[in-house]
Amino acid sequence: MKDVLIQVEDLKKYFRVGKGNLKAVDGLSFSIHQGETVGLVGESGCGKSTAGRTMLRLYEPTGGRVLFKGTDVFSAGSREMHELRKKMQMIFQDPYASLNPRMTVTDIISEPFSIYGLYPHRAEREQKVADLLRLVGLSEEHANRFPHEFSGGQRQRIGVARAMALEPDFIICDEPISALDVSIQAQIVNLLKEIQRERDITLLFIAHDLSMVRYISDRVCVMYLGKMMEVAPSEDLYHTPLHPYTRALLSAIPVPDPVVQHERRRIKLEGDVPSPIDPKEGCRFVDRCSYAEPRCREITPEQRELRPNHWVACHRADELFLK
Amino acid sequence: MDNILEVKNLSVSFQTFFGEVEAVRNISFTVRRGETLAVVGESGCGKSVTANSIVQLLPQPPAIYKNGEILFNGDNLLKKNKKEIESIRGNRISMVFQDPMTSLNPTMKVGAQIVEGLRKHRSLSGQQAHKIAVETLKLVSVPQAEKRANQYPHEFSGGMRQRVMIAIAMVSEPALLIADEPTTALDVTVQAQILDLMKKIKEEKQTSIILITHDLGVVADMAERVVVMYAGQILEEGTVLEIFKSPSHPYTKNLLKAVPRLDMNRSESLYSIAGSPPDLYIPPKGCSFYDRCDSAMRICKEHMPELESHSPTHKSRCWLHHPMAMQQKEAKG
Repeated sequence: MKDVLIQVEDLKKYFRVGKGNLKAVDGLSFSIHQGETVGLVGESGCGKSTAGRTMLRLYEPTGGRVLFKGTDVFSAGSREMHELRKKMQMIFQDPYASLNPRMTVTDIISEPFSIYGLYPHRAEREQKVADLLRLVGLSEEHANRFPHEFSGGQRQRIGVARAMALEPDFIICDEPISALDVSIQAQIVNLLKEIQRERDITLLFIAHDLSMVRYISDRVCVMYLGKMMEVAPSEDLYHTPLHPYTRALLSAIPVPDPVVQHERRRIKLEGDVPSPIDPKEGCRFVDRCSYAEPRCREITPEQRELRPNHWVACHRADELFLK
Repeated sequence: MDNILEVKNLSVSFQTFFGEVEAVRNISFTVRRGETLAVVGESGCGKSVTANSIVQLLPQPPAIYKNGEILFNGDNLLKKNKKEIESIRGNRISMVFQDPMTSLNPTMKVGAQIVEGLRKHRSLSGQQAHKIAVETLKLVSVPQAEKRANQYPHEFSGGMRQRVMIAIAMVSEPALLIADEPTTALDVTVQAQILDLMKKIKEEKQTSIILITHDLGVVADMAERVVVMYAGQILEEGTVLEIFKSPSHPYTKNLLKAVPRLDMNRSESLYSIAGSPPDLYIPPKGCSFYDRCDSAMRICKEHMPELESHSPTHKSRCWLHHPMAMQQKEAKG
């Protein structure tokens, strides 16, 4: 097993809202190894993006620790943080909103250089931008154009080039493909995989599309209402999901094959995700779970390793699904 | 008559400052009574323009109906005046839109919104209308329908709002329901609920559905027949089994290969279609998929292929299926 690059311990991010605390991320713990791709999935409002942003301190955390190569990110001073950010980058969901429309591609990609005072000479900088453009499958001709001249897929490539500019060790991809068309999604996913292979980069891939996440990730974390429900190697998670929520989530995704799809049995989930504002003690999934018992309402389940590397936060997972 | 809707040679363009965009180019398809037809394609392929043309929700200008007929129960909708269209739209043909957050009126109680359209078409007392609203909310499985009818949209979750949208569409018991990406904005578990609901309603009311989507999983789950659109044209059409099990157009094949499946092997690489769709200001003279096609031939660039039939239900627009295609391939090699 490779070294742990990122260690997240009991990460918490609460937002104060009128009525109380919105517990977007409520005690998340997981680790990511060097060169690994970890998927973070869950439905909208489950806190997956907040978790990603808090890890990079784009939001100030409410509690917990994040260790990046052993350095505590949350206790770093501003100068230390400046250096850390160089190594930890982000690719955003909306390629239309995350690029400044008044900057050229060169300006966008080389902005990190200005911030860190790298490549002060123009020629050197232009060369670097050209290299990055080639890396993401664009060409030098694109360097002086503006974002509106590009399609969604090309813009996301620019976003990838910007994230790669400082040669980071770790990139958080926050729904990088959900705004793109099917035929373009595969292009971006293949690009990310290729860059990862070439540069040995570690990825946290946040998405709601479980089939894509399973495809790209080595391990998958499933979140629900700010809590981690299940963490497992992606094949294991797909073949033997152990949390009732993961099972329902997997069964809800329609398979693009009419024969298979018509034979599948769907696990029905009633109702919607409850409010994350001041949630009650106990399992967060209890109201929609068909296996719920009285203890599920009283005691918050801890994560348990029920199979090798397969962690589940459910009181009943072993008796229900491990027989 | 078997077909509830027949679209014949429809072409729709938009007049813009930069010229004319040929959004829909000479498409023909039919919808049978009680069937679900899926229209699949990527953004900008003309699927929503097609849907909006049927109910004539496109403002003219900029939209221009260049050519074609839309026959609903044999009547050409494009020949109807505004008043006649209004008596059909929201009554015999209803629509469900993608975004349940923006398509409801935030200042109006949900119950009133459900019957608003109905009261336009029929004279109803307030009490009667309320009763119908509550019944329709029950039809779409909204719990506590009595109470919910008196609430405002902001008190509903995304999935519940989409149920309300379906209630609005279904209240007049339409013969045809056009659902434009009805579950795209929803989470998968909620999407599953809404798709089940649409199936249930279709069974109960024998409604025909045109389902517009880009999600091939949803298509496999819902549709009986499928129309594949690309760059304003229909490239392939067939039953759901024909499309998924023996796709004949390279675009359809590639599209199916580009989607990761939950049951696929992780070591299989994802197929990616290089490039992006053509610019419809200057639609290509030949096949619109030419630039991105692995099996493109010289003729594909110059001449538009015709729709070739593979079975009574299966057609595709590709030169590879032309009777002379083998010779073409050899000639090129």
